[in-house]
This record gives sequence, C-alpha cells and structure tokens, in this order.
Amino acid sequence: MELFLQQLANGLVIGSTYAVVAIGFALAFTVLRVINFAHPDIFMVGMFAGLAASTQWPALGFALTMLVGALGAGLVGFALERTVIAPLRGRDVLMTLIGTLGVAIILQNGMAVIVGPDPVAYPALLPRRFIDLGPVALTLRQVVNFAVCLVLLGLVSFYVRATPYGRATRAIAERPDVAAAFGVNVARICQFTILLASIMAGVAAVSVGMLYGSAHAFIGLLYGLKAFICMLVAGNRYFEGVMVVAIGIGVIEALVTGYISSSLRDAAAFFVLIGVLYFRPNGLFGSYAT
Amino acid sequence: MLTIRDLAVSYGAVPAVNGVSLEIEPGELRVILGANGAGKTTILKTLLGLLRPRSGEIRFGNGADLLRMKPHEIHRLGIAWVPEGRQLWNTLTVMDNLRLGGFAQADRTAVERRIGEMLERFPRLKERENQVAGSLSGGEQQMVAIARALISAPKLLLMDEPSLGLAPLVVRDVFTLVKEINAMGIAILMVEQNARQALKVAHWAYLLENGRIVESGSAAEIGAKESVQAVFLGGHT
Repeated sequence: MELFLQQLANGLVIGSTYAVVAIGFALAFTVLRVINFAHPDIFMVGMFAGLAASTQWPALGFALTMLVGALGAGLVGFALERTVIAPLRGRDVLMTLIGTLGVAIILQNGMAVIVGPDPVAYPALLPRRFIDLGPVALTLRQVVNFAVCLVLLGLVSFYVRATPYGRATRAIAERPDVAAAFGVNVARICQFTILLASIMAGVAAVSVGMLYGSAHAFIGLLYGLKAFICMLVAGNRYFEGVMVVAIGIGVIEALVTGYISSSLRDAAAFFVLIGVLYFRPNGLFGSYAT
Repeated sequence: MLTIRDLAVSYGAVPAVNGVSLEIEPGELRVILGANGAGKTTILKTLLGLLRPRSGEIRFGNGADLLRMKPHEIHRLGIAWVPEGRQLWNTLTVMDNLRLGGFAQADRTAVERRIGEMLERFPRLKERENQVAGSLSGGEQQMVAIARALISAPKLLLMDEPSLGLAPLVVRDVFTLVKEINAMGIAILMVEQNARQALKVAHWAYLLENGRIVESGSAAEIGAKESVQAVFLGGHT
C-alpha cells in the first residue's frame, strides 16, 4: 500500500509535467490544426534559457529563473509562429508538420552544438528538503513542480472557459469560419495561442530541469512523444481531457516502474494508446471532426 | 446598402456563381430562391469574406469594398450571419454562443442587455442557457443561431436556409421571427428553398439557377410566375 501511494504521488508529479507540454501541443493542433513538432523543443529551449540565466546570475532565484525560461521559450514560439506556422497554416496539414519538424531538428542540434549532446547539470534553485505526507515522502522540488504545473493547467482551463479571448479560441477550434464571421481575428488568436503554449512550456521547463537536476538537448523527443500520445488518447475536444490523460499516464508509468519494471515504463503509454484507440478511435473524450 | 456586381466564384475549375448582380436597401427583406447547388450559399460566403471570388465587386454601406476585407472586419461593418444548418459551437453552452455573437462589440453593457432581451424573447433558451448547444433540438438551435446573430445589432442579416431540417410548425415560427426581425429595421438577405414561405415574408425575390440569376422581381410577381410555381411551389409547403 505504501509503495502504491508513493508511486501514485511520484506519478502525479511526472504526469503534471507531461500535461503542461501536452496541452501546448493540443492547443496548437486543436485551434490551428497544426501538429507542432517544435513544441517539445521550445520546452527544451526554455529549460536551457533558465539554466543559462541561473548560471550567469545565481541570485536570480526560482521564480525569476522561471520567468527567463518563459521568455526564452516565448521568444522562440513567437518566431516559429511568424516564420513557419503563419505562412503555412491553412494549407495541407503536412506542410506545417514538415516545417515544425525542421525547426525541431534545428533547435535540438543547435542546442547540442552549444551545450553538447550529453545531459548537463541543472542548478538546484530550491533547497533539498523532504516533505513528509504520512505514508508518502516527497521532495520540496516535487511538490513545487506539481504546484507550478497545476497552476498553469488551471490558468489554461480558466482562460478557455471564462474569458472572451478564450471562448473565441474554442470557437475557432470547433468552427473557424463561423468564428471569423462573428468578428474573431483568427490569425491573431492563433498567434496568441502558440505564444501562450510556448510561455507555459518555458515555465514548466525550468521546474522540470530543477526536478531532475539535469537538462538535455534532446529531452524534447521524450516529451513530444508523450504529448502526442496524450492528445490521441484523450481526443482534442476538451483541453481538460488532455490534462487528465497526461496525469493518468504519468501515474501508470510510475506504477509500472514500481510494480513491474522501469524498463517497461516508456512502453506503458503505448499500451494505453493502442488499447484506447481500439475501442474509442476518437479518444476518450471525443474529437472535433477535421 | 449592399451592391453586388457581376460576381463570379468558382471552386477550383468548377464555376459556382457566374455573373450575379443584386442589391438590397436598408430595411428591406430580399430572398434568393434556388435549388441545391444553385450557388446560394456561395454568394453568402463570398459576402462574408469566407470565399474569394474570381471577379466582381461587392460594396456595403458607404462604399466599403468587401472583397478587400477579412471576415472579421466585414462583420464589424454590421453584417451578421445565420449559417446553413445553424453551425452553432456545439461544445459551448448556449450562453457562450450568445456571448460570442457579441465578441466584436466594444460596448459590453449593450451586449449584455441584448443577451438579456434574447433570453426573454426565447424563454426556452433561458431554461437551457448553461447546456451545451449540441444538446438542443433543431428548433431550439435555430433560435440560438438567430439570437447569436442579433447580439451584434447588425444592419444586415444574412440568413442561409433558416427553415432547413425543421419541423413544419417550427418552420412557421422561424418565418414569423424573420418578419419580426425585419420589422425592427434590420435588412435581411435570405436564401431559401422553401419558396412558398419565403415569398410570403420577402419584399423582393431573385431566382438563382446554376449560378445565374434568371428572374428577379417583387415577391408577388415572382410567386405568380409559372416557371417558379412549377419548380418551387408544386406541393412544397
């Protein structure tokens, strides 16, 4: 029972980081109909932006380092949208797919040229401390990471449900033509959506780098795959569905690690994917027709 | 207030609309009658900026050139749309659909007031304001689609087959409502297949066949034409 609760807690922490990356990926796909393969690497850029700033100015502290991560990721996201996504959007979905894939490769290898291809130690940012929650013990970093991710997810949910811009964002996801005909500037909201997803990824990236104590030029590959799976399993109809599935996959992975074997961990997500799509091809919570 | 000159629109190499000219003055209710595939929806979508024509000219209000504008800019001139088959945001609540109808309006209190008026006019929608629009009946959805379009207090309302797929009793309600909206001073350009009902409410009618206007005249004149009777009024309700 203790193992179960401990792995459940670990899984929630990891799953929440998957959720932040997955939601950015899902926003791009649902709102812009763009498979943004560069998104996980924008996350990676945010991680290294935070690392660079914190190495340069160790006194920055956790919050300001996250801000730098958000800025770095946001900048790259903005440039990506202007140069690749906006000119290619609305044509064949493969065009933006190839375009963003190209940017992803540039970002990964460009970063590998700068920092090397191996994992780099990440600054501590927060003190090493354990927090005892009865049967479960978590590090302060785990708790903070979970809180940061939950706040980001909550903000996205609030944004799309309770603000005029967010409602327009969902309106574009379902019927872009009708949204445009009701005065929604579709191009501008698409731009903002990519920016928002990138900034979120940058914030979470600093927290994740701190959590694992390392950053890696190719970390985006792992996150990108998980994000894609989460979106397919959930379906893209409800952003909250993607969040729930991402956290669930984190938990399943942790349980597989705890009870079966850590070498099967990364396969778990694929078993979930195959199982769900077999019975529900549109995902657990349904998808918009495309 | 709206003038369309020699409009030609095609999908790839296939012409959908071929040299259509029409106009509408403030406060008027005009209808374009035509069968499926005649090009009715194409005309409306081109007006809204959702399709780009091959040639032609569309002017609105004080001469604004709609063909140079984006859809969201065209809407801001005071043009609203009731799309074919309602096209509500089915995953959003009724209330959110109505709020989005006023998305482009700077005056938020006026939007809230008009939403209140709509919910009063359609008590069924008030009961369902927090349900997702996709869960409503066809008639209720049409009420939402019409209310959504009216929230922006448009000068010109484009209605694409408002009677499509509705029960006969509801169809009558819809046309009563169309008349009511027009009586508020809003100009309406409607496309319809239900000629009998449409001619009862319209001032002026165009007959569209294969992307061309083949007849135009007052609703009474058009209704009396044998060709129209043969094609549209035989047994049609």
